[in-house]
Amino acid sequence: MSKAKITIVKRSLFSWIFAGNLKLQLLLLLIIVVMVTTRVLPLEMQKRIINEAINLRNIDKLLLYSGFYLAAVFFSSVLKYLTNIIETLITQRTTARMRKDLYHHILTLPLNFFRKTQPGTVVNALGSELTLPGNFVGMAVASPVTNILTLLAFAGYLFWLNPLLAAVSLSIYPIVVFLVPLLQKGVNKYNKKRVDAARKFSAKIAESISGIHEIHGNGAYRIENRKYDALVDQLLKIRILWSLYRFAVKTSNGFFTSLGPFLVFLLGGYLAIKGRLELGALVAFLSAQEKLFDPWKELIEFYQVYQDGRVNYDKTMRYFDIEPEHEIEPKGRAPLQLEGSVEVKDLSFTTDTGIHLLDGINVSLNPGEHLALVGFSGSGKSTLALCIGQLYKYTGGNIMIGDHEVSELTKKDMINNIGFVAQSPFIFEGTIEENILYSTMAQIDDNGQGKNGKMPTLDDIIAVLHQTGIFADILRFGLNAILTHDQNEELVKMIIRVRKNFQQDFGQELADYVEFFDENKYLYYSSVSENLIFGAADKDEFSDTNLARNEYFLNFLNTADLTTPLLSLGANLCRQTVDILGNLPPDTVFFEQSPIDADELEEYKILVDHLSKKKLHEMPAEYRQKLLELALRFTPGVHKMVALPELLETLILEGRALFREKITKDDPEAITFVERSKYIYSQTILNNIFFGKTKSTSPQAQERIDQSIIQLLIEEDLLETIIEIGMHYQVGTKGDKLSGGQQQKLAIARIFLKAPRILIMDEATSALDNKSQARIQNLLETRWKKRNTVISVVHRLDTIKNFDKVAVMKAGKILETGTYNELMARKGMLYELVGKK
Amino acid sequence: MSSSEKNNLTPSCEFQDNLEILRQTYFFSGLPLETLKIFAYLCTREIFRQGEHIFRQDEDDGRAFYIIDGRARLERDDDGKKIEIRDYQTGEFLGGLTLLGETRRLFSLKSVTDTTCLVLNRGKFLKTMEQFPNLLARICNAVAKSIDTWEDRFLSDRGDQCGDCMGRLGVTLI
Repeated sequence: MSKAKITIVKRSLFSWIFAGNLKLQLLLLLIIVVMVTTRVLPLEMQKRIINEAINLRNIDKLLLYSGFYLAAVFFSSVLKYLTNIIETLITQRTTARMRKDLYHHILTLPLNFFRKTQPGTVVNALGSELTLPGNFVGMAVASPVTNILTLLAFAGYLFWLNPLLAAVSLSIYPIVVFLVPLLQKGVNKYNKKRVDAARKFSAKIAESISGIHEIHGNGAYRIENRKYDALVDQLLKIRILWSLYRFAVKTSNGFFTSLGPFLVFLLGGYLAIKGRLELGALVAFLSAQEKLFDPWKELIEFYQVYQDGRVNYDKTMRYFDIEPEHEIEPKGRAPLQLEGSVEVKDLSFTTDTGIHLLDGINVSLNPGEHLALVGFSGSGKSTLALCIGQLYKYTGGNIMIGDHEVSELTKKDMINNIGFVAQSPFIFEGTIEENILYSTMAQIDDNGQGKNGKMPTLDDIIAVLHQTGIFADILRFGLNAILTHDQNEELVKMIIRVRKNFQQDFGQELADYVEFFDENKYLYYSSVSENLIFGAADKDEFSDTNLARNEYFLNFLNTADLTTPLLSLGANLCRQTVDILGNLPPDTVFFEQSPIDADELEEYKILVDHLSKKKLHEMPAEYRQKLLELALRFTPGVHKMVALPELLETLILEGRALFREKITKDDPEAITFVERSKYIYSQTILNNIFFGKTKSTSPQAQERIDQSIIQLLIEEDLLETIIEIGMHYQVGTKGDKLSGGQQQKLAIARIFLKAPRILIMDEATSALDNKSQARIQNLLETRWKKRNTVISVVHRLDTIKNFDKVAVMKAGKILETGTYNELMARKGMLYELVGKK
Repeated sequence: MSSSEKNNLTPSCEFQDNLEILRQTYFFSGLPLETLKIFAYLCTREIFRQGEHIFRQDEDDGRAFYIIDGRARLERDDDGKKIEIRDYQTGEFLGGLTLLGETRRLFSLKSVTDTTCLVLNRGKFLKTMEQFPNLLARICNAVAKSIDTWEDRFLSDRGDQCGDCMGRLGVTLI
């Protein structure tokens, strides 16, 4: 990060005007000078047209001057358009740079800052608050220069026409120059208040959204509404007063400048009557005087933008004017390669409010030694880990890594040598691959340090996936991927081949867990529409979402006597699902076995209401369509709230044959039917290999399937390909498509891939199952010991037996340190803790 | 594993059957119908083949089971020595405590014949109870009563044969 980026909060608003915009601003100046000249010309032409052409009845001159007039107006408009484009460019480029630089600065601020700052405040600052400062920078040269030059040119022209009249009509402007700044003070005062209020307002919204569980849990809608309403009211008052002052500036300016023509009429009229002023000159004078109003108005507007922009800019920059606790990158040297030893001496950490979170901590580790930090929650073990990892800046004592003091190292030194796995790791939106490479990318980014600046190979990644136990999860994501027609032609061929081998090798063994596709049987783990169509739609109108609207398909349902029983099934499903889930929040746990999605629930609630009042055939067409949609989704093996009537099952099976016959004749391109020799593009890779669907999601079924499928994929040399597809799985916002355990495994995997010299784990395996936890513990003991130093905050005491050292903490102090056996023999604090567990 | 292959032969659906089972299970029977319906909907059916583990000692699988059909054996591994404790039969419910909080299994349960279980896991249970916080007291009450009944029966049936174990009695006093 460059020096300029670090000091963005110290930059003045004016510093942005020419920085990076010099060429554009100079070009703008040039255009403006030409433009102002073209603006005065029409006035002179106006005068000449009246005096020389009309008065002397000279057609040639009329045409000549009119031509000049037209050319000047046209040229002036083109130039004005050009200046607008350049101004916009400068505004947008500057705003973007401000937003980038400020964001880059904000990310380096201490963690402490973010505990006190709501995300909404930061969003507001980076978004709306920087708009006006950006506008100001765009206008900073163009607006004052254009308008002052235009004013001077028109004023000069007025003096040239008639000095007395000019002096009288311009006498108003000093009053405005005196009055406007007075009123603007009021505008500024309320704008400052507005910025503060808007900040509180955004912070409040962000707080409510992130705390929505608590609000729902306590039913505290009214409490939160009151708090929010009070802030809105406060903002309302401030904005009204702010606007009143702004309008006062505009109105008083407008009033005084409108007095100009009045004075010209009075005096100019008198002079013209007395024959001391030509009529043409009076017209030109009035016209020029009227033209004074626009540049003047624009100048006043510019003044307001400047004042508002300055207030917003200063307030925003002052808010974030905090120094990062540590330098981001070393200056004048390469990042350090640290030794793996850690020595903590007399360490203390006291908060701003004087609470001692750590006190007199002493502990040391040789390179490659493993330390377990244990104790009750609140004992300070996580704080100690965070201090060693430079995430908290300790307030007393020393932490030495090798012979370097942690507080004096740059962030780059730390990330090149240390890996940190947090208790609740954050997973970023994107693919699994992006998240797994996150730490390595951060390490090698910019300067190519670490791992020789090379990205890990797929083999490296796969090794880490195995070590952390996330391999099976990623394989599953890969197997659950749906391929498109235009990709992976080779893969498709291989899967069809694998399908045959799967049937031979595992068909029998997995029959309990898989429902194989069979044209003559009803499939309980496929939807009604899948059972009917029994293939993949190649035309959009036959896709699941469009089927209930497809006239051809609806006619077919009528022919097959399926319409009424399906509507009745839809109604039954609708009633039962709404009855069970009607009052539950939109949580995946509740809706994964439901045919109605969480966001459709309200709509179907209304439908249930109609169902209680009307008979099915009396329902409006749109409701019947919704019921049909629901019935077509019904999958008996998943949606257990209703049973599939025997008669309907038979009708659907008959319908399947009828549909195939009919569509093959009417539209043979519409559907690719399920056949053993064809890839089914509407189904996942796994279902294609199975040529069927999994029946159960239970852990033991999952494990059985995984074992067989891995064996098969290894035999067919397809494992890496499927893992690669799985690596492209989108994890959702904050990784919400992953379970807690998967998120933790991913966080551990990204640090394992980086293989740091010192690894700090803060209860990093708390959400993992026993097997995964044991696997990781085993790996640390066999592969990492004596090579990489590990500091682990541990919540489960059965995992600490093989650590080189165990430190037991209580109330911010280390009570005892030693090997597990030593401490147990001593029968002190650890003995007591283990006993309690 | 689903039994829906049979659903065209039976008039009622799996959800209704589950509801009936839960209404007769001590752990759930005190709950109002509205809540029971949600549990009946969230439960899944799983088949464990003969010899398959339903849960293993030392693991926290977080699941409660009602045996719909079959038989399962409770075992304990004491430092390599395998002890068979008892068999669970069709109609028995086990694992209620594990729904309430993290507990590691002190026993393993293994199916003796192909066994179909109705299964509910802790995640689903707790998510649902979050919606009805007042009802947690009823569940606690059912569990407390069950522990009390167990110890009472134990004392009257076997109390005199306890010998050295006498000092460890009093689980109802925890």
